[in-house]
Amino acid sequence: MSTVTKDRTARGALAHPDVTRLDDVNRDVLKPLTGPPGKGWWMMLALCGAGIGMFFGAWGWQIYRGMGVSGLNAPVGWGVYITTFVFWVGIAHSGTLISAILFLFRAPWRQSIYRAAEAMTVFAVMTAGLFPLIHVGRLWHAYWLIPYPNSRFLWPNFKSPLVWDVFAVTTYFTVSAVFFYLGTIPDVAAARDRAVGLRKKLYQVISLGWQGTDRQWHHFGKAYIFLAALATPLVLSVHSVVSWDFAMSIVPGWHATIFAPYFVAGAIFSGVGMVITLTVPMRKFFGLEAYLTTKHYDAMAKLCLLTSMIVLYAYMSEFFMAWYSGEEIERTAFWNRLFGDYWWATWIMLVCNGMVPIMLWFKRVRHSIPALFVISIFINIGMWFERFVIVVTSLHHEYEPFAWGMYRPSVTEMMIMVGSFAWFGFWFLLFTRLLPPIAIQELKEVLPPPMRKQKEAH
Amino acid sequence: MRKHWLIGGFAGVLALSGLAFVQGGGAGADSPTTLSDFQPIAFPHDQHAGSEPGQNNMDCQFCHFSAERSVDAGIPSVSTCWGCHQAIPGTNNPQEVAKIKDYLDAGEPIPWVRIYKIADHAHFPHMRHINAGLQCQECHGEVQTMGVLEPQRTGLPAVFLGQDRVWGGDNMGWCIDCHRQPNEDGVQQASTDCSVCHY
Amino acid sequence: MTMTDGIKRRDFLKVLGVSSAGVAASGCSTSEVEKLLPYVVAPEEITPGVSTWYTTVCGSCSAQCGMWVRTREGKAVKVEGNPNHPVSAGGLCSRGHASLQHLYNPDRFAGPMIREGDNLRQGTWAEAEQLLAAKLRAASNVMYIGGNTGPSMNRLIDEFVSAVGGTRVEYDAVSDAALQEAARMAYGSTALPRYDIENARLLVSFGNDFIEYGSSPVAHNKGLSKMSAVDDHQSKGRFVYLGARLSTTGLNADEWIPIVPGTEAAVALGMASVIAGDVSDAGPYADVLRSYTPTTAASVAGVSEDAIRELAERFVADGPTLAMGPGAGANHRGATAAHIAVMILNHVAGNVGRTVHYDAGVTAAASSYADMESAVSAMAAGQVGVAIVHGANPAYTMPSASGFAEAFAQVGFKVSFASAMDETAAMADLIMPDRHFMEAWGDSMPRNGVMAIQQPVMQPVPHFDSKQAGDVLVAVANQLGNGLGSATFYEYLRSGHMEMHDASMGDFETLWADALRTGAVEHDMAMGMATGNAMDLQAPDTALSFDPPPMDSGGDLMLIVHPSPRFGAGEFSNSPWMQELPDPVSKITWHSWLEMNPHTAEQRGIREGDIVSVASGNGSVDVPVWLYPGIREDAVALAMGGGHTDMGRWATGNGVNVMDLLPSESEQVSGAQVTLVTSVTVTPTGERRRIATIEGSSDQHDRPIAPAVALADLGHAEEGDHEDDGHGPLMELQGVGGFVPVDANGGTPEAFPLAGTDHGEYADAHEKPRWSLAIDLDKCTGCSACVTACHSENNVPWVGEDQVLMGRDMNWVRIERYYEHVDATQAGELDVRFLPMMCQHCGNAPCEPVCPVFATYHTPEGVNVQVYNRCVGTRYCANNCPYKVRVFNWYRYTDENVPEPMNWQWNPDVTVRTNGIMEKCSMCIQRIRETENRAALEDGRPINDGEIVTACQQSCPAEAIVFGNIRDPNSRVSQVVSSERTYRVLDELINTQPAVNYLKKVTFHEVTGGHE
Repeated sequence: MSTVTKDRTARGALAHPDVTRLDDVNRDVLKPLTGPPGKGWWMMLALCGAGIGMFFGAWGWQIYRGMGVSGLNAPVGWGVYITTFVFWVGIAHSGTLISAILFLFRAPWRQSIYRAAEAMTVFAVMTAGLFPLIHVGRLWHAYWLIPYPNSRFLWPNFKSPLVWDVFAVTTYFTVSAVFFYLGTIPDVAAARDRAVGLRKKLYQVISLGWQGTDRQWHHFGKAYIFLAALATPLVLSVHSVVSWDFAMSIVPGWHATIFAPYFVAGAIFSGVGMVITLTVPMRKFFGLEAYLTTKHYDAMAKLCLLTSMIVLYAYMSEFFMAWYSGEEIERTAFWNRLFGDYWWATWIMLVCNGMVPIMLWFKRVRHSIPALFVISIFINIGMWFERFVIVVTSLHHEYEPFAWGMYRPSVTEMMIMVGSFAWFGFWFLLFTRLLPPIAIQELKEVLPPPMRKQKEAH
Repeated sequence: MRKHWLIGGFAGVLALSGLAFVQGGGAGADSPTTLSDFQPIAFPHDQHAGSEPGQNNMDCQFCHFSAERSVDAGIPSVSTCWGCHQAIPGTNNPQEVAKIKDYLDAGEPIPWVRIYKIADHAHFPHMRHINAGLQCQECHGEVQTMGVLEPQRTGLPAVFLGQDRVWGGDNMGWCIDCHRQPNEDGVQQASTDCSVCHY
Repeated sequence: MTMTDGIKRRDFLKVLGVSSAGVAASGCSTSEVEKLLPYVVAPEEITPGVSTWYTTVCGSCSAQCGMWVRTREGKAVKVEGNPNHPVSAGGLCSRGHASLQHLYNPDRFAGPMIREGDNLRQGTWAEAEQLLAAKLRAASNVMYIGGNTGPSMNRLIDEFVSAVGGTRVEYDAVSDAALQEAARMAYGSTALPRYDIENARLLVSFGNDFIEYGSSPVAHNKGLSKMSAVDDHQSKGRFVYLGARLSTTGLNADEWIPIVPGTEAAVALGMASVIAGDVSDAGPYADVLRSYTPTTAASVAGVSEDAIRELAERFVADGPTLAMGPGAGANHRGATAAHIAVMILNHVAGNVGRTVHYDAGVTAAASSYADMESAVSAMAAGQVGVAIVHGANPAYTMPSASGFAEAFAQVGFKVSFASAMDETAAMADLIMPDRHFMEAWGDSMPRNGVMAIQQPVMQPVPHFDSKQAGDVLVAVANQLGNGLGSATFYEYLRSGHMEMHDASMGDFETLWADALRTGAVEHDMAMGMATGNAMDLQAPDTALSFDPPPMDSGGDLMLIVHPSPRFGAGEFSNSPWMQELPDPVSKITWHSWLEMNPHTAEQRGIREGDIVSVASGNGSVDVPVWLYPGIREDAVALAMGGGHTDMGRWATGNGVNVMDLLPSESEQVSGAQVTLVTSVTVTPTGERRRIATIEGSSDQHDRPIAPAVALADLGHAEEGDHEDDGHGPLMELQGVGGFVPVDANGGTPEAFPLAGTDHGEYADAHEKPRWSLAIDLDKCTGCSACVTACHSENNVPWVGEDQVLMGRDMNWVRIERYYEHVDATQAGELDVRFLPMMCQHCGNAPCEPVCPVFATYHTPEGVNVQVYNRCVGTRYCANNCPYKVRVFNWYRYTDENVPEPMNWQWNPDVTVRTNGIMEKCSMCIQRIRETENRAALEDGRPINDGEIVTACQQSCPAEAIVFGNIRDPNSRVSQVVSSERTYRVLDELINTQPAVNYLKKVTFHEVTGGHE
């Protein structure tokens, strides 16, 4: 924080009241890239490294021994893996939402968070993408889901939601990755101008020789808005498709038309929650308080509140429809959710996703960074359990009472689930050190004119 | 700079299609060159089944006795071999023929090395194909001309094979290719239902 | 075809066939170099790749059912019931199927074992026989302890024993001695009575579990289903079960009168006294009848007098009727009297000659436990020089209180003919491993006038240097210088039959050949089924008391001990199929359990899964509790067959041996072992365990899964309540078989494939047959034979107890068991529903659209198939299957669990599945293909109805399953399905259009609840 004005009355509607000079922006934002990483960062990286070791170790063991090392069985054929898959796909949402949709709607508060959010999106999809592979029985044949001309004259079954998934997730990954990369180009160029040695070489390659000429800015703007327009429908499509993995089945508790909007809302909910979880420490470590202000968190908190209510409504409507349908099997399924063997999971879900966010109605909570951080953790937990409830409780009591059964996650499953967080964290840590965590050029656009003069005066 | 990206992209695409190709093409067992390499007795198919002068022009099913009534074509018993060879010492290399007697006396079966092998999860009823009027050669190649018996693989996946059918035992497209041919009524001549072979 | 000279040829035969299908696993690389092993000299009746069938006799138990064995390339791969057999008439029980696993049991002895100090070393046969001969020559007193065998072997043993001047002790762990003694006393009959269950209209079983064990379980099972199933004239025989615990047999009853154990005689006589207008009808037992009335019976039996009186009245009114005495599960101190009481009841009701026959009796295991007791004391006194144990395992099956083990140790030289290790063989000085019955010669007389030959169906399994006990006896006798007139047992057997042969039977060779080809011949000596000669009762030659026998005090709960339907008395325990077969009653696999009434448990604060210590005067065992409404509140039940200490890898250390709780006591009159006498105390140990059961819930939750219809409602179903009765309007069902929606073409099959259910271009889909199953739940007795048959036919692996505990049991067909009305407190209706649940081969299969790679799809024949090698294992199909019939290979069960030579049992026509693959019932598609191929070879003739028989259908003793082409209106399956009882599980809820059609169970009482 270079110059902090003591005058709090003049702050007005500025998004970044404490940012006064444009070159402060470059200096502050690029500091994490240039400065020494610091013990904490290394320790966290090491932790994530260990986690990744556990992750691939457990996975390798499962490939070697067979799916039996999981706790899965009949009737519960899907468990922690699919739960975590959906969780990460959900996390992947807010990134593109914030950058693309809010960009199209010109939301004033997106500039300082969208970079982190987009990075999170890309890494989350990278994580999610592993889980379908982890959960198939014969990984070595998983490529059969990809349509390609082959000597068997066989194609995948395009009726199957799982095949739709392949397309949805890969498309979403490609577009969000490109979108993310495009946005960084000017900032990487800025970093390049400051960096030295290997870093400089790296940035030179990544920034594709960006000079910030008018022509480049012109094309950049065009490309960016096109991509934003392209990414926007994907935000809605990808999680709708994921929700159809369930909705297309006939399993009581899965087969519901509300699933697509319900999942999308849930995804945004968890995604924004995760953004808060990630940016709060980031802003602390790299001293970006001036750029990620309570204004941004307030806005994100409101988004959480909105989506939380949508999700809660979805829960309620599910229970209502189960009762209203008069269908005994449907009723049993949802009664079993609340009071059956997995009642605890359901109640964790309801409390974390429905009750806790109610606190966000209060401005004081929304403006307290620590409070938001804690709430966001609750949201992450709650959303993971939401998926667990949907997957497991629906399966373990289905149509055939004689075939009812229980599912107990195994150690391997837990190692892989926890390890996936390490894998995600690993990439995010690298990101914070290698790329500008905040979009410099867009930030400058929203800084008030007088300061521009100052710069010109410079 | 951009060029590099392009090249990289192409390389990736090639690699992928290469993988798919290998998977599809079904690279098979490496085929040896001389009989003594791997067969317990140097059995020349051409000498027995060949129609050249000096060759014996035997019917395949004389030895592969159950081809027209069983799923298995059948491997001749040692006594079958000896049935003829106790009279025919073998002009070209009698020492090989002599081995038959050894096995017979020892009461041991001859451990032939299998050349044509269809995966265990695919069921190939020989009799259905023989009774459909197929010639052995249509699947096994011109065995009567082979001294060293080896599957004639083109190495290409069947999708590129067209009408030219040679052995592709672990290549499903090679089977489908034939099943799909229209019969005289113009409908496909054999079922391509998975469960016809896979169960 | 005969094996008489076939056996010589097969001497050369190397059993490794050219078809390696079945030994490698699906999805593996096919490029590894592999050896082809042809025959040295080709046997002309064996074509590689073509099955050869041999008939033989199942040697698993004393019932000796007819058996067909399917061999491929000289290996036995499947056993089936022989429909030509006059007694078993097709069908085979689970234990019969499991005999295949005893043949390939890796724990069989590699050769004769000779004790040296504490360990056994393998010797040669010459060595072993010389040793035995030497010991016999020197021995002072030889004792031959043997179980039930075929007549020829029986004769040989007698001659051998007399030749060596020894004594023979016949011992079977489960025997009908009491019944046989009763038959002798009351009718002077030498054999067991033969029951004509089928023709009874009211069947009363006094605790006789006749479809599980006893003289002929398969035949009795068939009889029961024929009797109790509703017939074309919509009449249905009624089955009343009196007993303290409902066995599988009991669960099939229409009424249950839970009498106090031991009061069968009182109740039977009480009924008889009502029936017999004049007590003199009971002949010499008139005064007995005088002293027993329903009142006295009710007072002791703990049921209402009206119940007994009313049952008695029906027992005459509904005739012909049949009463069956207490079975092996109810051998108490008054067993013989109880049997005689039941005989009196049958007599006064005029059933003798109608439904009970003492003339053409059934030969059965009927040895005396009393002899065994004296044998033990003789051994203990050190008076026995050589003891030969053959076909018995007394060290395990006799109560530990009997002191057999200690006594046996006193014997100078101990010989065992056990082919695999068991508790008795473990103590032996010399083990001469007998052949498995599929490798050996033998014969059987299941009934007077029926001759069945047990012929070897394959070369002895080369891993084990075994020798038939008969051959050993012949050889040893020759060495001892007193030959038995034959060089081999085969000669002995044949010459024996020649002697029995008389000209009236026609040419011997023809008869012999017939016997080998068809499995059994009935000759003129056979007594007619219903000779109608009502014999007269004879006065007992010993004093009999019909009062309830005294029971041991000391405990507060009566201990009911019964042979296990899976393990018998423990001789079948070392088979993974039997271990993992869910018990027909409890659905529990592998371990033992204590059956306890829920109320009793509640009063004592015991929950299911609590490990309790069951203690009697003789010992105690720790066993988990399973709550069972079908047992009296004052009783608990334990099955035999668990707790082996030394019997191979699958049996040893598994469960508890109930014999640790019983006293060693034989019944005064008959000398049968007393098993129902102990009262026990049950105290929680504080520990718990999860029960390895496949049962999720025993309650249907009002879902249309196993509905029933009241007999009274039959015939006017159109005014019956369709909405909640498990099937839609009748028009949907007529001849449809579950392939077209209600409104498609007025419900005719031609509408297939339905839009959405067809895959690929099937130009000729409409000319194709439509394979379908019909399962009559009114016939199904839940015996679970089909489950093992399916495992055997389709290479379904077993997974082990830990996997079952994780809910990964592998069954292509499971027998679901739902309680509707079970009341252990009073006499009344009983309603338990059995439902064989396999893949329903839905027309609208939920599993099909969700599979991303078409690994499961619909054939034009309407079969829902699973293409193993295409499966990538997403398991979505299993999630989406409403019937939960899909099972997944979580590990490499098929090679990790299956040691050589157990893998010889694989069916070469069915792919062996590996890790990560989904599988399920295929409607035995390999049999469909085999038949299609055969028909194609016979100039493309059409396939006849009934030509294709699924493994479950073939095995079903109750003939409840019918397979066929539902599109053909004349096929049997179409006929069956056109019944008004037809419904399809859950169909009207989720429109899955199954190809498997069930026919509702028919009950006598009004069915209540939403799901009838």
